[in-house]
Amino acid sequence: MTHVSHSVDAADSRSLWSLSVDERAYVAFVADHDGDNICQRLADMGFLAGRSVTCLVTPGFGAPRVYAVGGSTYSIDKRTAQLIRVVNERPA
Amino acid sequence: MRDILLVGAPNSGKSALFNRLTGLKHKVANYPGITIDVGKGHLVSDTNVSLWDFPGTYSLTAVSGEEQVAIDNLRCALNDDREAVIAMVLDATRLEKGLTYCLQVAREAARSKKTFIVLLNMMDIIENDDLELDIAGLQAALGVPVFPVSARTGNGVNTAEQAMVSGEFDLPPWAETPDVLISGSAQQIGDRFSPKGDLLVRRQARLDHWLLGTVSGGIAFVSIMTLFFQAIFTWAAPLMDGVEAVVLSMGGLVASVMPSGMAADFINDAIFGGLGAFLVFVPLVFILTLIIGALEDSGYLARAALICHRPLSYFGLSGKSFVPLLSGVACAIPAIYAARTMSSMQERLLTYVAIPLMPCSARLPVYALLIAILIPDGTFFGGLIGWQGLAMSAIYFFGISTALLVAALVSRLGNDNRRGQPFILELPAYRVPIARPILRSALNRAWHFVRKAGSVIFMVTIGVWILGYFPNGGEDLAGSWLASLGRFIEPVFEPLGLDWRYGVAIIASFLAREVFVGTLGTIFGIENADADPAPLADQIAASGLSAASGVALVVFFTIALQCVSTVALLAREAKSARFAITLMVGYFVLAWIVAWLVFVGSSALLS
Ligand SMILES: Nc1nc2c(ncn2[C@@H]2O[C@H](COP(=O)(O)OP(=O)(O)O)[C@@H](O)[C@H]2O)c(=O)[nH]1
Repeated sequence: MTHVSHSVDAADSRSLWSLSVDERAYVAFVADHDGDNICQRLADMGFLAGRSVTCLVTPGFGAPRVYAVGGSTYSIDKRTAQLIRVVNERPA
Repeated sequence: MRDILLVGAPNSGKSALFNRLTGLKHKVANYPGITIDVGKGHLVSDTNVSLWDFPGTYSLTAVSGEEQVAIDNLRCALNDDREAVIAMVLDATRLEKGLTYCLQVAREAARSKKTFIVLLNMMDIIENDDLELDIAGLQAALGVPVFPVSARTGNGVNTAEQAMVSGEFDLPPWAETPDVLISGSAQQIGDRFSPKGDLLVRRQARLDHWLLGTVSGGIAFVSIMTLFFQAIFTWAAPLMDGVEAVVLSMGGLVASVMPSGMAADFINDAIFGGLGAFLVFVPLVFILTLIIGALEDSGYLARAALICHRPLSYFGLSGKSFVPLLSGVACAIPAIYAARTMSSMQERLLTYVAIPLMPCSARLPVYALLIAILIPDGTFFGGLIGWQGLAMSAIYFFGISTALLVAALVSRLGNDNRRGQPFILELPAYRVPIARPILRSALNRAWHFVRKAGSVIFMVTIGVWILGYFPNGGEDLAGSWLASLGRFIEPVFEPLGLDWRYGVAIIASFLAREVFVGTLGTIFGIENADADPAPLADQIAASGLSAASGVALVVFFTIALQCVSTVALLAREAKSARFAITLMVGYFVLAWIVAWLVFVGSSALLS
């Protein structure tokens, strides 16, 4: 089960994985994955609502992709990237 | 004297600072009152001051059971009533990353009345690129002293050191701040003070486009790994041969000045033989640590993990297991050390499970002998492909597949059926590696191996020597205790169609798998079987070893953990002798069962 706590409507957002190379978006919220603190860890690493995030590289063969957020660069696999919801406009 | 506790997020340069402050001299020690080992060193400028290097985490909130242990211990150290200075290392170029953690720790420090300061590291990059960073403003916003430093150039380190040793500062103003405000403030401070622009990120991304691109990245990956692999074989091999030659000739020299007899034999074969048995690994451990250190420091290791992650995740492994597994194709010893780059113990243990199954080079002479017995020396496709070479490839393929399948099985059994852990890996900036700390850690690791694994290997070697030497003074291996033991365990190998001679060789090969060949040579009365296995192969074939038994032996050696050095080191590194022994016994049983099935199957096929 996945439950979320956020102010942005889930319908307006899309997953971080949908970003193409050099595309920029803003973090809307991070869906809480059942049981673990991944949501918390992503927040600690800089994936906070309103932060801008850019997709830097999408290596082939379904490999984890590379994203820049808050001056840091992370590689994230599909499953985890899909927990991160982004929107095109900076949330108010 | 106050203690200094170094904390910070991974890749903030904490180890680099620790090395600089302690002059690279440190050991693993126990901080009073806590249960995990942390790095301990003394300030170069004042050896009365102890510096403690706590494991890097991203915050005081754990995401795994293992991290929970590390964090509980850190909290414990933060909250005791010892006089200590907490120094939080922040990466100035990636400020946002560490700020929540910084404020969380500042709050703990304030509550337990400990001095808290921030070491703002990587200032050399900020200065070189003319990035703007308002340190005074940051200091005011954080409410704690901030010292700009560079672990790489050493700038600012002295000033910071002075402050840590004798500075008096107000306690951080966060003692009563609730969690939401901590993370909110961290976000605000990060947004406000982080160096503006994405110059650094862009620069990295350009390189990443190349090194992670589907085609260019593939080529780069294969080239770097080929180079890495070559280095182990071509650079380490002469050194290993050299070490072996020196130890052997020293043994010969010592024995030659002694009257011949048991004492001389003991010194030459047991003592120097035993020394040689583990000293040959030292160059391998040293060189591999050196290369992996350089790969890690350059930033490429994290990219290699990314590239390998998806294929390995099918087997429950993570991309970070790739380099250890690849090293395992050379030798399990440096491979086990290579797994130290993995921060999660759970992932590391699974990698340890797979490593001994990788087709290491000590199995090569065994396979060469058995192939020479089993497979005719013919070629096909106009001489391009030989049957024997093909057989060798098949054996390697079998070994690697077994390693991956066993890992997959163990991870399914041990885990809650989810496919691996989520993969979130920070990609550190590409950098030119610094030689000194890497050299130092390679030396440390080689020394660690000698100290920690050496004694077990040495003792087992002496034990096997005694078994082979008595009661007839080494005259006749067939009449030795070792042979009696071989006959005693004959029933174990009989179902595989193998008699006591193979039992003896298998026991002896526990010292190192290649000893199998030399021991059989001795039993069959063939000199120098190590160097040229052909006469021995003929002799064994003539003695009537069935093809099915030969194949069973190959299968047995691909799986069995026949290596005292690996078992000794696994026990050390996994911090569990039980783990190592379980693995050894488990792989013996598995090897036997698979070998038996193959024996029965191929006997039926061939008859
Ligand atoms: N340019 C620069 N690089 C640094 C500095 N401090 C550390 N590094 C590099 O940053 C990387 C991570 O450092 P390390 O000490 O391993 O980080 P840790 O994970 O916090 O222990 C390594 O490649 C270091 O060589 C610094 O002050 N300046």
